[in-house]
This record gives sequence, structure tokens and C-alpha cells, in this order.
Amino acid sequence: MATTIFGVMIVLLLLGFPMMIPLIIGAFIGFYSLFGGFGQLETMIQQMLAGIRPASLIAVPMFIFAADIMTRGQSANRLIDLVMTFVGHVKGGLAVSTAAACTMFGAVSGSTQATVVAIGGPLRPRMLKAGYNDSFVLALIVNASDIAFLIPPSIGMIIYGVVSNTSISELFIAGVGPGILILLLFSGYSMIYAIRNNVPTEPKASWGERLRATQRALWPLGFPVIIIGGIYGGIFSPTEAAAACVLYALILEMIVFRSIDLKALYETAKSTGLITAVVFILVAAGAAFSWVISFAQIPQAILGAVGVAEMGQIGVLFVISIAFFVGCMFVDPIVVILVLVPIFAPVVQSVGIDPVLVGVIITLQVAIGSATPPFGCDIFTAIAVFKRPYIEVIRGTPPFILILLCVSVALIFFPQIALFLRDLAFGK
Amino acid sequence: MTDDPDAHARSHGEAHMTSADQSDLGDYRSSLPGFLGTIDMAIARIEAVALAGGVLLMAANTIANVLGRFVFQQSIFFSEELNRILIILITFAGISYAARHGRHIRMSAIYDEMPPHLRKALMVVIALVTALFMFGLCYYAVGYIITQAGRGRVLPALQIPVWWIYLWVPVGFFMTGAQYLLTAIKNLLERDIYLSTHVLEGYDDDEVEV
Amino acid sequence: ATWRYAFEEAMDEVQGKYAQKFKEEVEANSDHTIQLFPFGTLGESADIMEQAQAGILQFVDQSPGFTGALIPEAQVFFVPYLLPQDQETLNTFFRNSKAINEMFPELYAEQGLELLKMFPEGEVCMTTQEPVHSPADLEDVKFRVMTNPLLVESYKAFGATPTPLPWGEVYGALQTGIIQGQENPGFFLESTKMYEVTEVVTCIGHNNFTTAVMANKDFYDGLSEEDQKVIQNASDAAFDYILDYQKNLQEESLKKIKEAKPSMEINTLSEEERKPFMETADEVEAAFIEMTGESGKKILEQMKADLKSASQSQ
Ligand code: NA
Ligand code: NA
Repeated sequence: MATTIFGVMIVLLLLGFPMMIPLIIGAFIGFYSLFGGFGQLETMIQQMLAGIRPASLIAVPMFIFAADIMTRGQSANRLIDLVMTFVGHVKGGLAVSTAAACTMFGAVSGSTQATVVAIGGPLRPRMLKAGYNDSFVLALIVNASDIAFLIPPSIGMIIYGVVSNTSISELFIAGVGPGILILLLFSGYSMIYAIRNNVPTEPKASWGERLRATQRALWPLGFPVIIIGGIYGGIFSPTEAAAACVLYALILEMIVFRSIDLKALYETAKSTGLITAVVFILVAAGAAFSWVISFAQIPQAILGAVGVAEMGQIGVLFVISIAFFVGCMFVDPIVVILVLVPIFAPVVQSVGIDPVLVGVIITLQVAIGSATPPFGCDIFTAIAVFKRPYIEVIRGTPPFILILLCVSVALIFFPQIALFLRDLAFGK
Repeated sequence: MTDDPDAHARSHGEAHMTSADQSDLGDYRSSLPGFLGTIDMAIARIEAVALAGGVLLMAANTIANVLGRFVFQQSIFFSEELNRILIILITFAGISYAARHGRHIRMSAIYDEMPPHLRKALMVVIALVTALFMFGLCYYAVGYIITQAGRGRVLPALQIPVWWIYLWVPVGFFMTGAQYLLTAIKNLLERDIYLSTHVLEGYDDDEVEV
Repeated sequence: ATWRYAFEEAMDEVQGKYAQKFKEEVEANSDHTIQLFPFGTLGESADIMEQAQAGILQFVDQSPGFTGALIPEAQVFFVPYLLPQDQETLNTFFRNSKAINEMFPELYAEQGLELLKMFPEGEVCMTTQEPVHSPADLEDVKFRVMTNPLLVESYKAFGATPTPLPWGEVYGALQTGIIQGQENPGFFLESTKMYEVTEVVTCIGHNNFTTAVMANKDFYDGLSEEDQKVIQNASDAAFDYILDYQKNLQEESLKKIKEAKPSMEINTLSEEERKPFMETADEVEAAFIEMTGESGKKILEQMKADLKSASQSQ
């Protein structure tokens, strides 16, 4: 059954069917072969609705909405102008700033999709104007957003911690090292890219210009304060911070700057709704498909045939990495964690690997999976928001995926990348 | 539209920089004749209002909840459930709206390389198959709602029957199916290749608004 | 045949232990095999319940607290201080209660479910940032509860500010301070690491988390008498096993918490300190009766009668 489903899905995908159709047809085939007919398809509807049920998903349309308002108005540009006065003269400076902003925003907001919109939305046009190639820009935005999985708070780590009975605090700290390492490598690649493609720089800004830019950005600087201060300061949950951003954006753009009127607000809400819908219908269809895979116990069947237990630590870590990487290519990461972690737990214990290390490796695979074709939520978001063809969005991905895979391998051979900070903090 | 996508991106990249583009979702004009056209336009209007209204209400609800917690030390007890209702509304009003505007995400790399007559035939097949599965999902969504209604489950905070909040689901599937069916018909009747009833293939709708 | 059994917790938590024992018994005494689906692998609590009603799953474990939307009377388990605080009395009650073994099965049957067993999962304790010795200490504490009207009532009556929050956000919200408290049974406080982001565990004996295992009724009624017997015996065996498993579970879980975080303060309130909390029970009871009407009242009264005879038999 698994072979048929994956085969049909890939063909439909390549032929150019709307992305929801391969997932829906995959689920239909699954239901048909599991229950000998279509009698139980109401459960497919149930699971589609379950896919868009999590309350934390509300942060996505809210951050999209806030970002859309800021971009149509003046806030976004004033913020970027400020950043440019500091990094505009450095080769690759804008790209590095974009990567850092994506990482930071993604980490705090807890939503990589929202990051693609909120940071990618305003920064992409600036990068294009600065002379970066679009395929590089899109890949940078999608991949840098996914670093956020590794930096707390991380929902993937929380779920792994609960399922595997591992300290969530230790996981959180252990994710920071690899997260920063990846950001540094992305930054390095960005600078090399800028030098090799000779992306022009701007003349260095004077301190007077920087001061003026800061003054212009004074109001919009409230956004990072609300998001970073609000969430780490314990004032807002990510969803609430998103709502606070919407409120603040409305106050700035409609009252202070007067750059948006009610008609524009209506249009913005409509386009936010449209982007939300085309991404969420894929989340919904993906949930139904994930249910089929889980119910048919396909991962158990595949892994049972492999014989992991005799492989030793390195072997087990490789199998785990590959299993999660492949799983997240097709199935919702949360479901992958819930299904696979209990299967691997006894093996991890018997060969004596630190479960915190396993958690970080798994989270990294989840991050890679969300940015990797064919099914990646952040790819979908980028397509919906930027209205670029699928192939264009993933064209620039390979170097980033390569970096991520190198870090995965490095983590297996040098666990201290993750465990160093943990050992320091917990005195181990 | 067989140009190299990279060149395509370079030439249009700046014209379509963000979702904040004002032209992207301009007023919808139905391509259906007469009375059907009037109904189609009315439905398009309802979808648009549901979409925008859903997002605005969600923002208002979430903001009110935050303010409530800070100003009155009291969360709105039904806030989470209301957002759940709205996200369903937005998603299912949105999928038909997206179908209407040819905005559903697809991987068109191979499709784009095909000669026009093959592309046209494939587009008809894609639209028909998509319509078929949308109508199928509509049917099972109705069944699911009837089952839910029979069980009498209620939302814990709002105490309204759960099935009420799903009413948009079959409507959304049906409208999406109808859009794709019309797209297939349109492609059979006209010379050009259409992504939706009024959007020609290609990624920039400013050049294709009919 | 292959039967499928889903539950709301991870494999190593109480519901998972029960399910594993049940599976072991059924497979040892019949040709049937059972596939287990822990928390989240087939959806949330409400999803697996519906799948059991649809007959996709043969067995499901859903706590009555979540069943409240379907069977309002099941919320009776949230009335504080209704269940006995003593473990032996509690076990006797679950074995012999007429409300649990006769009245609830009828209510579940109306929903197409064969109620196989209800069992306790452990005393519910609070974790907070500051010590709690009286309702006054809960004032201005934003306390996370499940989205359940009766629980909200309870914590309002205790003096806290009930703050409904999805489970996935609780850890982060405690860490950053959006909420300052939450409640769960001891083993769950340990397994979900709630102690990492709070400072004090307080047990006031107000509740013992109860859960229920059921089968799809059409499936069950369609079985041979022999198979039904296998299932009943397996349920009884798993029930005995889980009561035994739990004997020291609460103490062990709290001990593990103390080991993992020595600075954790663990308080069990005295009879005297519990009094003001116990006095709020009437208020919540009234709310329960208002929500569930005559049928709820009948169940509540029967449970009280059962409890009386359970404590007398000790
Ligand atoms: Na994060
Ligand atoms: Na992927």
C-alpha cells in the first residue's frame, strides 16, 4: 500500500496538480485499502479539521496580518532603512541581517510560516533591489526561518521531551549551539554568495544618517520590543504577541503615519485570509494523510525490517536522522515525532545515547524537513506569499540543505556542539 | 509563457514583491454569462467578505482577549473556540476564493515545459480530477456533519453544537469543485489555457486579468 | 483479528500501562492481536473517541473530563472532594460503585460505547511558583485548567484566576510567566516536566484523575460470548494490575521530582488547611447540577451513597 500511495502522489505532484490533490488522493487510497471501501471517509474530514485545530496556529494568520499591514504602510521600510545604515556597506550584510532576523523572529514567534511572511515579506524586495538573485533570496528566507525550530521555545522539543521523558529545559539549551552554528554557516554562505555574484554595496552611512534613520524607526522599533520583550518577558504567549503586533501596526499605520485607510485594511485582511487558506488546506490534507500513515503503522513495518539494535551508537543516530528526515519530507513533523520517538526509545536506551542529543538531532531533521521538497510547509507559504512558482522557490535550496546535512553529520560525531551549553548550565 | 523561469523572476520580481500588492485581488468579474454570472459574482463577494471578515474578527477577538487579561485580569473564556470557528471559516471560504483566482499551490516545473496542446489537455484533466475530489470531500463532509449532529456534542465554552462550526466545510469544498469544473469547461471552450475561470496560466495576474 | 486501541497518554504513563496489560492478556488468551496507539498518533482525545464510535477503533481510553461534551454527567468527576482521599477506600469505591458499574454504562451505551472499566490515575496536585496553604495564596494566580466549565468553576471557587490554555502551550507559558500554576496527577507532573518550570507542588486532595476504557458497542455486541469473556477478563486483570501499579506511584513520582530538582517544595496540606478548599465544594456541586439537571443529580447522589458504603467497608 505504501509504495502505491507514494508512487501516485509523486506522479500527480510532478504533473502539476494543485498540491492538496496528491495528499488527498494519497489519503483516499489509504482509506480504501485499510477499510475495503470509502465507508470510513468521514474520519478523513475529521482529521483534516483536526489539522487546522491547534490553537497555536492562530499566530500564523495574525503575524501575516501584522506583517502585511506593516509592509503596505511605512513601518517595515523604516525598520529596514535603519538596518541598512549599519550593514548596507558590508558585502552580504543585508543577507546576513535577513538570516538573523528570520532566526530571531522564528524562534520567538514559534511559527516558521509566520516568519516567512513577516520577515521575508518586507525584506525580499529590498534584497532583490540590492541585486540578490530571487532564488537565493527565497531559499535563504525559507531555510533561515527553519533554524527557529532549534531555538527555544520550540514546540517540537516540548513534544519530544514529553514523549521520551527527557528534560525540556536541557533540550532547549542544547538546541542553541547547533542553531547558532547553522546561522553562522548560512551567514558565511551569504557573504561568499554576495562576493562571488558581486552584489553591489551601498556607501557607508554616516552617524548622522544612522541617527536620522533611528529617529524615523523609533515607532516601528516597538515591534521587536513587543515580540521579543513580550514573549521572553512573560507578558504574551506567541499568539497574543501576534495580536498585539496587529493592534500596534493598526495604531501606527492608520493613526500615526496615516498610510492605510479602511479600504486598504479590508484588502489586507482579504489577502491575509487567502494566504492562510492555501497553506492551511495543505496542513489539513497533510494531517489526513499523516493519520493514514500512522494508522496503517507503516513506519513500524519499515523500521522493523531494518534491525536497528545491532548498529552501535553512530549507526543508530544515522538511522534516526534518516528516518526523521524522510518522515518529515512527507508527513507533519509533530506526527512524525509522536510516532517514531517511542519506536526508537528502547534502542536509544540500550545503546546508551544521551536522549538530549537525540532530541536535538530529531529537531534538526524536523527543521530540514519543513524546508525540503516535496512537502514543506514553509515552501508552501513562500509560494503563496510571494506568488513564485514552486520550482523557483526551491531552486536555491541545495546549498542550504547541504549545510544543514553537514551539521547533522557533525552533530553525530561531535555531540558537544549541542551538549556543551547543556553541560555548562546543568553542571554535568 | 515558455520563458526561462529565472529570467521571468528577474523581470517580474520587483513588480510582485509582497502579498501586500494592491492589484492582486482586485474586483472579481465573472466570466459566466447572464444570470449564472450574477450568482457567481454574488458568491465571490460573499467569499471575499467571509475571508476579510474572518481575519478582522480573529484579530479583534485575540486582541480583546489580551486586553481583557491585562486590563480586567480576566480572559475571554470563549476566545479560543471563536478563533477555531474563524480559522475553519477562513480556510474553507479561502480555498474556493483561491481556486477562483488560480492561487492554489502547485508544482508546475514539468507542466511548464510541455507544448501548449499537451498543457491544455493536462489542465482539463487536472481541473476535472480536482473537481471530482472536491465534490467527494463535500459529500463526506456533509456526512460528517450529520454524524456530529446525531451525537449532540457541544463546544465546552460556548455550549453550541459542534456541527454548526463545520457548516462552511462542505460549502467550501463544493464551491472549489465548481470552480475547477468551470475551469475545465472554460479550457474546452476557449483557445487559451486557463488556471481558473478568469486567470490565464502564468504567475502574474496583472497581465492576465480578463 | 487485529483490534486497535487508542489512549490519551504516552506508552509509559498510566493509560499506556493499562493498555499494555490489556493487550498482553487478550493476546495470551485468544488468537486476536491488539495494536496500541498512544497520545497524538491518531489525533486528540475527541478524535480517537469519534473514531471508536465510528468503529475504526475497537477500544479507546478517554477520561470522563473530556467526555463532558458528549455525556455531561461524566463531569461529576470534577466535583472537588467527591472522591475519597484515601487510596484503599478509592479502590473499593471503583470496584463496587453502582454509579460507575451500572449507571454510567447505560449513558455510554447511548453513545454507541460499551464501558469496560473506569479507574483512577492518581491524585491531582497543583504546581505553582509560590507556596499554597490557603485559597488566599491563589489570589491573582493565573491558573491553567482544561477547557471545562466545571474545572473553571472549581478554581474560581479556590480563589485563582482560571486561564484556559491548550496543553501544548502550558510549559512555555509557565516558563515565561504568562500563567503561574496548573494541576495534574503526580505521574503526569513528573513525565511532562512541569516541575522544571514551577517551584512548588501542593496536594490538597481535591481530586483523583479518573479515566475510562470502552469498546465500540456494535463491535462488542457482535463478538462471540467467548471473545466477550476474554475482553472482560483482560479488563479485570488490567484493572487489578493498574491499582497495584499505582499503590506507590504518587509517592514515587513526587520522589523523582525531588531527585530531579532538589529545590522543589512539595507540600501536602493538613486536614485543617484543606478545610477552606473543601468548603467550596458545595458551590461547584450546585454548578454541576445546574448543568446536568435531574440525571446529573441522580448520579451525584448515587456516587455519594456508594462512597459512604465504600468508606464504611474499610
Ligand atoms: Na523556536
Ligand atoms: Na519537506
